[in-house]
Amino acid sequence: MSEHKTWLEKLANRFYAIPTVAQLWARRVAREGVQDGDAEAAIPFVRLRGPLHRARGALITTGGVHLRAQQPFDMLSASGDPTYREIPADTPAEQLTITHKYYDHRDADADLNVIFPLAHLRSLVEQGVVGALAPRHFGFMGHVDGEQVATLTGQTAREVAAKLRQDGVDFVLLTPA
Amino acid sequence: MPRAVFVKWPLGHPLGEPQAPLQQRTVIFRALLRLVQAEEAGIIEELGYRWRRELYSEPEWPLLNRE
Repeated sequence: MSEHKTWLEKLANRFYAIPTVAQLWARRVAREGVQDGDAEAAIPFVRLRGPLHRARGALITTGGVHLRAQQPFDMLSASGDPTYREIPADTPAEQLTITHKYYDHRDADADLNVIFPLAHLRSLVEQGVVGALAPRHFGFMGHVDGEQVATLTGQTAREVAAKLRQDGVDFVLLTPA
Repeated sequence: MPRAVFVKWPLGHPLGEPQAPLQQRTVIFRALLRLVQAEEAGIIEELGYRWRRELYSEPEWPLLNRE
């Protein structure tokens, strides 16, 4: 039964990876959430308050990025690791590394901007395109499955959301892997 | 997700290739453009850039702050 489910889930994942299918899904969820008045089910949406050159941005990646000095993500758990790592905004690229065995990150190792464009965002602040960067950014490891999903959605993702609010963040750029 | 841009590129390359700052900055620009222009939830914009077969130039950043 569990194998059958896994096979179906894999098929569903491939299906939803088609952009037009994902778009249909996203529109349906957005519409039904609004109709049902169910804030939990709806896709949350707010317009950016004020111009971008006054906005404070943060980065979140699921590419397994963390400080070399931090504990690496758990690669032994089959269900993945739902924890996160805080990355201070002034961290030099050479102090960052990637722990994530579920995608080929050799290119991201060679140039972190492929997955975690902190350097580009810094230059956009210097250019005056973006107002400011948050004092901390966040690294997750994208392979989260089974019972760990509940920990991610019920605990760690909420913690990060609270920290973003605490830091006065106006927008977040999420980069997946 | 509130809004997203999509690129049909290999997994682990959301902003493109290494040492390709114009490509990376173009994806950031398009994502931020989606941020400032989106009027509703659930928008996934397919950018249509081909893998390793595009030429990129510096984005027109002032468009992001046009009144």
